[in-house]
Amino acid sequence: MADVKSLLAQFEEISKNPQKLVKEYVEAGEKVIACFPIYTPQPLVTAAGMVPMGIWGGQCNPQLAGKYSPIFTCSLLRSCLEFGMTGVYKDVSAVVMPIICDTFRGMNSAWRAGVPDIRSITFIYPQNRKDPGARDFLIEELKAVREALEDISGNTVTNEKLQTAIRLYNRKNAAMRAFCRTANDHLDLVKPADRHHVMKAVTFLKPERAVEMVSELTAALNAEPVHRFAGKKVVLTGITCEPDDILGYFDQCGVAVVGDDLAQESRQYRTDYPSANSGMESLALHWFGVKGCSSAHDDNNTARGDMLAAMAKEAGADCVVLCMMRFCEIEEYDQPSVITQLEKAGLMSFSIDIDQSTSDSGQALTKIQAYAEN
Amino acid sequence: MFAAGIDIGSTASKAVILDGDGQVKAKATVPIGTGTAGPERVFGQVMELAGIARDDVAWITATGYGRFSFEGINDQKSELSCHAKGISHLLPGTRTIIDIGGQDIKVMRIGDKGQLLNFVMNDKCAAGTGRFLDTMAKVLDVEVSALSGLSFQADEPAEISSTCTVFAESEVISKLAAKIRLENIAAGIHKSVARRVASLVQRVGIQPDVAMSGGVALNSGLVRSLEEEVRCHIRVHEDCQLAGALGAALFALHSMRNCESYTG
Amino acid sequence: MGETPEVKKAKRPLPKSRVMLNALVDSIYQAAWDAEAKGEPVGWSTSIFPQELCATFDIPVLYPENNAAGVAARHDSPRFIATSEGELGYSNDICSYARLSIGMAHQMACDPNYEPPAVQRMPRPTFLLCATNSCFELLKWYECLSRELDIPIFMQDCLFNYGDAKPAKHWVAYGRSQIEHNIKRMEEFFGKKFDWDKFLEIQKISVENARLFDECVMMNDRNPSPLNGFDLFNYMAPMVVARGRRETTEVLLQLKREIQEHIDNGTTTFGSAPQKFRVDWEGIACWPNLGYNLKSMKKYGVNCVTNGYVGAWSLHYTPGSLDEMAEQYMLSSTNVVNTATMMGKRADVANHFQCDGMFCHINRSCKFMTYHMTCGREIVEEKCGIPVVFFDGDQADPTIFNEAQFETRLQSLVDVMETNKEAKQ
Repeated sequence: MADVKSLLAQFEEISKNPQKLVKEYVEAGEKVIACFPIYTPQPLVTAAGMVPMGIWGGQCNPQLAGKYSPIFTCSLLRSCLEFGMTGVYKDVSAVVMPIICDTFRGMNSAWRAGVPDIRSITFIYPQNRKDPGARDFLIEELKAVREALEDISGNTVTNEKLQTAIRLYNRKNAAMRAFCRTANDHLDLVKPADRHHVMKAVTFLKPERAVEMVSELTAALNAEPVHRFAGKKVVLTGITCEPDDILGYFDQCGVAVVGDDLAQESRQYRTDYPSANSGMESLALHWFGVKGCSSAHDDNNTARGDMLAAMAKEAGADCVVLCMMRFCEIEEYDQPSVITQLEKAGLMSFSIDIDQSTSDSGQALTKIQAYAEN
Repeated sequence: MFAAGIDIGSTASKAVILDGDGQVKAKATVPIGTGTAGPERVFGQVMELAGIARDDVAWITATGYGRFSFEGINDQKSELSCHAKGISHLLPGTRTIIDIGGQDIKVMRIGDKGQLLNFVMNDKCAAGTGRFLDTMAKVLDVEVSALSGLSFQADEPAEISSTCTVFAESEVISKLAAKIRLENIAAGIHKSVARRVASLVQRVGIQPDVAMSGGVALNSGLVRSLEEEVRCHIRVHEDCQLAGALGAALFALHSMRNCESYTG
Repeated sequence: MGETPEVKKAKRPLPKSRVMLNALVDSIYQAAWDAEAKGEPVGWSTSIFPQELCATFDIPVLYPENNAAGVAARHDSPRFIATSEGELGYSNDICSYARLSIGMAHQMACDPNYEPPAVQRMPRPTFLLCATNSCFELLKWYECLSRELDIPIFMQDCLFNYGDAKPAKHWVAYGRSQIEHNIKRMEEFFGKKFDWDKFLEIQKISVENARLFDECVMMNDRNPSPLNGFDLFNYMAPMVVARGRRETTEVLLQLKREIQEHIDNGTTTFGSAPQKFRVDWEGIACWPNLGYNLKSMKKYGVNCVTNGYVGAWSLHYTPGSLDEMAEQYMLSSTNVVNTATMMGKRADVANHFQCDGMFCHINRSCKFMTYHMTCGREIVEEKCGIPVVFFDGDQADPTIFNEAQFETRLQSLVDVMETNKEAKQ
């Protein structure tokens, strides 16, 4: 069995070089479908015999994207548009775009104007999740996604193929959750950046490969003695917590990340596809099971803050760090209520800026250090 | 032996030396910050003032934006912890600290021993920072230190509504063109900064006593504007600009003593 | 919408239609206060929610977006925005209408010394109506109001039409399901039966008003335009707050008569300055700066003869058809359709109105509308061959707008329009 260190290095390599992976897939004759955050029906892509890969922008100062995308809009989607316009995504067969916020309404237009050569499969999640008509609507909406994927792949997505894919994705979710639990017993080996690389790499890997690699890592960790971590522990929330520098600051200040609600990380793996009459229904019901997410309306209006407080307490953290994606308004609307709920639960919290367009994160270090020192 | 604290900010460098009993032996300020000769100069100055050599300093703690770039330090602390420590030493009883730095506004809630309980900082925007004041002073063609005196002569403060530095600059230029008195513009600039800072103060919640830290606190015109906005008296110590360096020196003293108790 | 100080300062008395409009709006606020006094339900609603429902139940509803515009136009927004950004900790990146209204709701609920705006005071609501057609932020905003005031939301999720075709069958079915389900929930919440006959009546009036409003908007295609384009911002008010009322029909009929009079007499509310340039204004008004904008534009002889925003309440359906009604609420807002659809339509309108240019408000609060402009600019340039010029501003937050930038941009637009005119001659 490979040792923990070399396994973690593999994840880091994948997490940092998704383009290399795309090239490998494409050279092997496979088609890649790029999936925008947060929730895309990836089992459909797998069932159509193609490879779904997450796209998360990246550190860049957009030059071309500004033509279509106002400077005061989501930093992550601006980099995605920049990458689309500069050919970074040229090898993918299509992108899947869920309209989950106003910036996606804009991206839908901006992508068509700026990246006309990469087909966009757009769909929309119903926000009135308690309405009796929402489920049927979503099934029909997902059928259109299925049709587009069938068109691109030339394969038919049967119910059987879809159900098999769904089971695989639920296994992946379970493997990710198991890894997160185990990692907390080995915080000496799994540093904040390592944890992030595992979570992010999995968004690029084929699901079966992800299950295999993550399970191997978890097993390797379980073989190590449990480490009693004496430092401070935090839970992260937000869209992403990147780049590595920021996660390095946590480590540098002796702070461990023991849980997360990041859209790029655990939010992906928190909710399973429930069993249902058909694969399509199961995909739709997944959306109705999403809880505590800024992109899914919930009648329980303190759900997210309460969930984060419970997560932190369970993981032994005394603080939740809000990683605020620059100009992500859906997260900004949640911010005050989340802070209030955490305060009520006796937990500390602070916010750091996540901005893909700048490498200056000195203020984040100051804040993390101030938290660690007191 | 002596303990030293050095605060390397974005626009100024400050240093404080404490003797073994925690008494301030010397303090110095140089008006240039990180990335310049400022840190070396201020440290040289403060040792000269104290009449000591570098070898006499047993522990150096650095803080401020340039805290990682100074050679020969023993450790470094965040400026939040240092301002909290420094102010609570200078002005015991303080519970809320406002620090307007060159590129950051910090509002801190502290406990009775100077420990940091909660804090907020501005987002990445120069509105309301020391940098904003510098830019506006340049437009008015006065020294930034002159803004305070000017603002006290105002009879009808001008309204500067833009928070964006670039826009505010053009607003100030148009006020100048409209022959609005410099004094009223200076007061308007202070009001604009005060509003921005007050908004952050509300987030942490005001708990008296409130004190201001950092060099901008020497601008009493701004302090007055800020008092009006937060509706509360704000204490300012004459050494407010040195609060960060003092806090760092106090941390250094603590480490020095710990170290001595190990070795001695 | 809000009366601007400039309108108040007008030398001539208000036209009769405006007097009627103001009386109508006042009566709607009064009805809300009367209900509050009796302990009956009062709603706050997004501006393009199916108002037909509460109108049928005869439950008063007020509109925070409309109210925020008025408060901002009277320069009273900063104190509410300050509460949101300060005490409550909201980022200044979120919509300024939201910051204003959340701040106001908080003051209403928590401040015993709450000082309401001078006019159009809103009572505290007991329920919320939220349609997602204008934007997704509305939903996040109403979640905050729901938390702040501890009251329920009735939602009409009006899906964003990302494609080029009309809403598909399953979209309409979801829309219809929501209307039906909301009626049921409202029957329980209000403790009243829904009167389907009255509903039909209100639908008829609403459709008639939408038709009349569109007619008034279109009458401005004459040269010179009978209306100063900003007038239309004012006449949106009845369409927002009283689309299903007979009184609104009266206001619009009166307005139509007045416009016709102007056309017949060759007069215009733009004033005596010549209308040298006809411009399409895109985006919501900069309410805190409306007076300055108007003054500057008059100085250069620029009249905004049309804008896309006022068409947002143009809801046309066959009374009695829930499907058509549901579909219309997924089509009417500028922000519920994609850029190709929206800006394609705007280009056609700009051509019809013989516009010389397009002046776009890059509104910090309205991200998607800004995308329409950045992504749609090429469509307009291609279809109309007119210059498209942007300026920065905000609908309610006075800290974003800059007079110097506005005038410079306006002047450069005028320069290009002048050059184009010369070239044509």
